[in-house]
Amino acid sequence: MNPAAKLYAEPLDIIITGVGGQGNVLASQVLGRALLKLGYGVTVGETFGLSQRGGAVMSMVRVVSQGVMGPLVPENRATAILSLEPLEALRVLGAYGHPQVVVLTNDRPLMPVNVIAGANRYPDMADLQAVLAELSSRLYWLPATDVALELGNPILANVVMLGALAASGLLPLGLPELEAALAEMFPPAKMEANRQALARGAALLA
Amino acid sequence: MADLSKLMPGETVLLQGNEALARGALEAGVAFCAAYPGNPSSEILESLADSAAGAGIYAEWSVNEKVALESAAAAAYTGLRAMASMKQNGVNVAQDFICNLTISGSGPGGLVLITCDDPSGISSTNEQDARFIARLADLPLLEPATPAEAMAMIKFAFELSEEIQNLVVLRSLSRLSHTRAGIVPGPLPQTRPKPYWDPKVNHATMPVVPLHAKMHEKLARAGRLMAAAGFNSYEGPQKPELLIIASGSSVLYAAEALQLLKAEDKAGILKLGATWPLPEELILDHLAKCGRVLFAEEVDPFLENEIKALYAQNAGRLGAKAFFGKATGHLAAIGENTPGRLAAAMARILGLEWRTVDEAYAKRSAELLAKLVPPREFGFCPGCPHRASYWAIKQTLAVDGRQGLVSGDIGCYTLGVLPTGFRRVNSVHCMGSGLGISNGLGQLGRFGFDQPVVSVVGDSTFYHSALPALVNARWNQSDYVLCVLDNSATAMTGFQPHPGTGRTATGQPGKQVAVESVCQALGLPYAIVDPYDLAATQEALYDALQQGGGVRVLIFRRLCALVQGRQGGHPYRMRVDAEACRGENCGCNRFCSRVFRCPGLTFDQAGGAAVIDEVTCVGCGVCAQICPAGAILAEPRKEAAA
Amino acid sequence: MANHVAAEATPPAACLNQLKKQVLDAGLCVACGACVGLCPHIIFYDGRVAAPDDCGLSQGRCLDLCPQAPEPAQESKRRALHAQAGQTPAPPLGPHAGIWQARAASPDLAGRAQYGGVASALLALALEEGLIGEAVVTRGGQRGAPQGALVRDRAGVLAAAGSIYAAGGSLLALNQALAQETGPKLGLVGLPCQVLAAAAMKAHPSYPAAARRLGLVIGLFCTWNLPARGLRALLAAEGLQGPVKKYDIPPPPAQVFLVETEKETREIPLAKVREHTLAGCALCPDLTAELADVSIGAAEGRPGWNTLIARSAQGESLVKSALERGLLILETPPAESLDHLRAAAAAKRARAAQAWKER
Ligand SMILES: Cc1cc2nc3c(=O)[nH]c(=O)nc-3n(C[C@H](O)[C@H](O)[C@H](O)COP(=O)(O)OP(=O)(O)OC[C@H]3O[C@@H](n4cnc5c(N)ncnc54)[C@H](O)[C@@H]3O)c2cc1C
Ligand code: SF4
Ligand code: SF4
Ligand code: SF4
Ligand code: SF4
Repeated sequence: MNPAAKLYAEPLDIIITGVGGQGNVLASQVLGRALLKLGYGVTVGETFGLSQRGGAVMSMVRVVSQGVMGPLVPENRATAILSLEPLEALRVLGAYGHPQVVVLTNDRPLMPVNVIAGANRYPDMADLQAVLAELSSRLYWLPATDVALELGNPILANVVMLGALAASGLLPLGLPELEAALAEMFPPAKMEANRQALARGAALLA
Repeated sequence: MADLSKLMPGETVLLQGNEALARGALEAGVAFCAAYPGNPSSEILESLADSAAGAGIYAEWSVNEKVALESAAAAAYTGLRAMASMKQNGVNVAQDFICNLTISGSGPGGLVLITCDDPSGISSTNEQDARFIARLADLPLLEPATPAEAMAMIKFAFELSEEIQNLVVLRSLSRLSHTRAGIVPGPLPQTRPKPYWDPKVNHATMPVVPLHAKMHEKLARAGRLMAAAGFNSYEGPQKPELLIIASGSSVLYAAEALQLLKAEDKAGILKLGATWPLPEELILDHLAKCGRVLFAEEVDPFLENEIKALYAQNAGRLGAKAFFGKATGHLAAIGENTPGRLAAAMARILGLEWRTVDEAYAKRSAELLAKLVPPREFGFCPGCPHRASYWAIKQTLAVDGRQGLVSGDIGCYTLGVLPTGFRRVNSVHCMGSGLGISNGLGQLGRFGFDQPVVSVVGDSTFYHSALPALVNARWNQSDYVLCVLDNSATAMTGFQPHPGTGRTATGQPGKQVAVESVCQALGLPYAIVDPYDLAATQEALYDALQQGGGVRVLIFRRLCALVQGRQGGHPYRMRVDAEACRGENCGCNRFCSRVFRCPGLTFDQAGGAAVIDEVTCVGCGVCAQICPAGAILAEPRKEAAA
Repeated sequence: MANHVAAEATPPAACLNQLKKQVLDAGLCVACGACVGLCPHIIFYDGRVAAPDDCGLSQGRCLDLCPQAPEPAQESKRRALHAQAGQTPAPPLGPHAGIWQARAASPDLAGRAQYGGVASALLALALEEGLIGEAVVTRGGQRGAPQGALVRDRAGVLAAAGSIYAAGGSLLALNQALAQETGPKLGLVGLPCQVLAAAAMKAHPSYPAAARRLGLVIGLFCTWNLPARGLRALLAAEGLQGPVKKYDIPPPPAQVFLVETEKETREIPLAKVREHTLAGCALCPDLTAELADVSIGAAEGRPGWNTLIARSAQGESLVKSALERGLLILETPPAESLDHLRAAAAAKRARAAQAWKER
């Protein structure tokens, strides 16, 4: 099967980042499954490390019309960065950013313990937003956790962000494809919340 | 993980590298799988265990890697296909057996060892290259580049092993094991031989010398079979300006680097998947066509050195060559490869221009990062019993006042070297070595060494390799306190069961081997404490420290917070009385959030008081015990199990 | 893993850092307990004080309260505290309104008290008269180590009678009691180091509860003390088992340390005991608890009697009241024994001055 739509970029390299426990690996799998179904060549590289232990986590979703890609996005070559935590978006930009990169980030900070302990400072939110805008061609600064909380569970922020990604024009797919991929991974009882999260995420970009 | 036996042949699915290896083994008709958990290898046996009922195979978490491989070898002797999977460090544990197994041979059933190496030590204490074992023990070595190739290679590995009757090594990498890609499963076999070991046949290492010769023959034969297997190939111009010899993920990085440099017409890639013994003919062929060679592999310069040695034998015929790689500094001798690192090396050799990004952008982003981005430290999870355990150890050693030492071991609690464990761990090496270090320190009293010694070991590590050191300490009366941090899980690697939990890999009940039963059998004095009870734990540890004499054991028993979370959660709803909180004043200065550092505790700068982060706090109640003002309140949560 | 570890912020020149540097790590701590219980960073267990973590503050109380802190210099600190109490230092015995040989009249004290039971009698009287509502005393606790205790009545006072020759960090109990900003007046029976610390507490601008609530301070004479674990090691080395009923150091020329258990009374040569004494005591210049309201010690050559010094007006009136109620028997001390006491006090002061100089 050959994919129908042309990709936004070839390869389309989306880095999903965040903090252990935010559901970043799940988001990358949903995206990977949906794209695979459409016939694209998909490679999803996951960095676990000590992810359960509060560290930064990163997955790389690499999409091509045909063929296989390596698990690592080349340095400074990401098409887009989808971040579940704003500071992590900036961290990833340093290694993978370039003037054309698109950044979508959840605006809810998760303080590192070393910041809570007073050993380091978390940047001012306005500064952070300005810097992310400066280092990207497009920045979507999104209240994904707020939306997820309105839906009753902060963990849904990853699905909200996926909905936003689908609406950004970067993907060759829409909400129904993501929903189908989610349905492969969640029991039907949890699908209503996921559907809403996708829709609310997409609406953030409307 | 999922039951891989249920996948539909011919239908593309997104599978992780480790799952592809597992499915490949099932398709090859593997019957017996054993492993010890360790990232990045754990998902192989996890998915095989979850597929065990469906596929009718046996899957076991063994107590350590050596036992895993020995058990698998036994199955192979009876004609069943068998495998053992492990992380790079596990190969060291199994090494003694491997070096003898290769002499005795592996019998009629195919026997495969998968090692998952971890370049950059993403989830390891080192970034050791385990390929050494192939050269050391004369074993065939396969290095897949993609999940699909991993699946094909493991099938070949079983056939090859049966053909030469020796162990075959397959080396994965964390980037491969943890990469998902579209995979097309094949059919599963319907039959399997009945296991039988003809008693007239021996698998022993004697007579050594003739068997050693046979071992060399086996490898040579393997080399011929591997050359024909199609895992080695060349892509690029007939007469390239640069020949890149690559294995593993570096094959893909190299290809991408060439694209980035737009140098596909200048350089060619000799992809090696069947790497040991070296495919000599193929390599010599390509060396003859090109004057410059770059090696792309992770971590050690394994191919680089071996191929240079091969070249030396043939230098007269081949003429002068320039070799580039780790030895010349074109690629780093440490850490993993990346497309960018390879592009930079190629550009340097070919005299091309290479920059990953516009210089102004790179400069600006580096500047902003340095200014704005703090590190994100690892830490124990909210409610983690290890935090409480290290707290008790820290406080107790402080009041003990004799400059006590803590010898650490491998597991989540290794993080004791970081601020999250109050930097209270003085040494960490490999599985079980903490007890050996303690054993030595515990004998130094006779030379005037007067610092008390505490050894910490997790429950899983206790069974893996602490037992011999403990028996040794008991026998020789080494003087130290052993704290077994028993959280009833192999939490670091994903909550696999172990002898102390009593459950087996497939979730069946086994016979529990409790830590205390081992202590009883060894005649060791022991006590069980709950690390959540800080005062009682400190008191027990203090008394144990004062006792002296041989080994004394304290079992710090408390379920891993994540497991507790899945089993109904913790008992408390926490709250800070902002009135009572002393905040940043003399009398406290944020003892909870600054020193104790549970991520469930934050500090409201404006209000000048600590705050519980309700989303993060799991409600273990431990922090309430350290607050000097009694400001942290633990109220029973009705829904929770106590 | 290295890039996931935050660089440690450089600690400020915190007072706890200074306390660690000048006192704890220098081996000068005498476990008086003044710094313990104010905050969670300083802990006391089995007779030993430790500070495992940095407190991160540069303006706190612990260093100011510590009687062993070299800065500000001991003598000037004492002079300032005397001045604040409206007294002059008056070496070698300190300010005093009267000195007697004394003993409690009550028979229930005779068996239990260290000597004449004057300390217990005066404390019990202060509680009965309502001069104070609670008092911090020192008594045997876990593992036989002494520890502070808050008592409210005569029974509590009697339960703490008798001297334990080990440091009990008992001011921890005082700090804990003072965590309540308001409450009844508090009394204290303490060693000279603890009396100095109590005076510093009362005078500290950031410790208003101490100024408000600390009422009566009864000082004990002291030449040296043992760490709790040192005392235990000494007893163990002597093969002494079971609870100790009484410790005593009979006045010179005896040169022994007496330990009385249920089974026996053992004389341990002082030379052996001195191997275990607190190093910090060598720098303590104060024999007679000069900053107390009243000070009490042994009476030379008179078993069952105390030397009693009334210093402040409050101390003097407490002694007077005890006399009026027939609770104390007072006698004028022989000139010779007073001379010996003065000489001993001067000798301790000189020894400490020399020791400071040598550091
Ligand atoms: C360590 C130490 C060293 C001493 N050195 C001398 C000395 O060199 N010369 C001298 O004349 N007298 C010394 N004394 C004082 C003497 O032992 C008596 O405490 C004092 O004479 C009062 O006697 P009493 O009969 O009135 O005491 P009691 O009525 O029996 O009352 C004793 C009081 O001492 C307190 N106490 C007991 N142990 C300790 C302790 N470890 N720390 C603080 N308080 C404690 C109790 O709380 C109790 O209130 C010392 C006491 C101690 C504890
Ligand atoms: S330890 Fe207690 S008093 Fe101190 S900041 Fe935390 S809650 Fe407040
Ligand atoms: S109760 Fe306290 S220690 Fe336990 S998880 Fe919550 S914040 Fe952390
Ligand atoms: S002498 Fe007293 S105040 Fe000083 S450190 Fe020791 S216990 Fe604390
Ligand atoms: S000699 Fe001084 S410092 Fe030592 S215990 Fe006695 S009063 Fe305290």
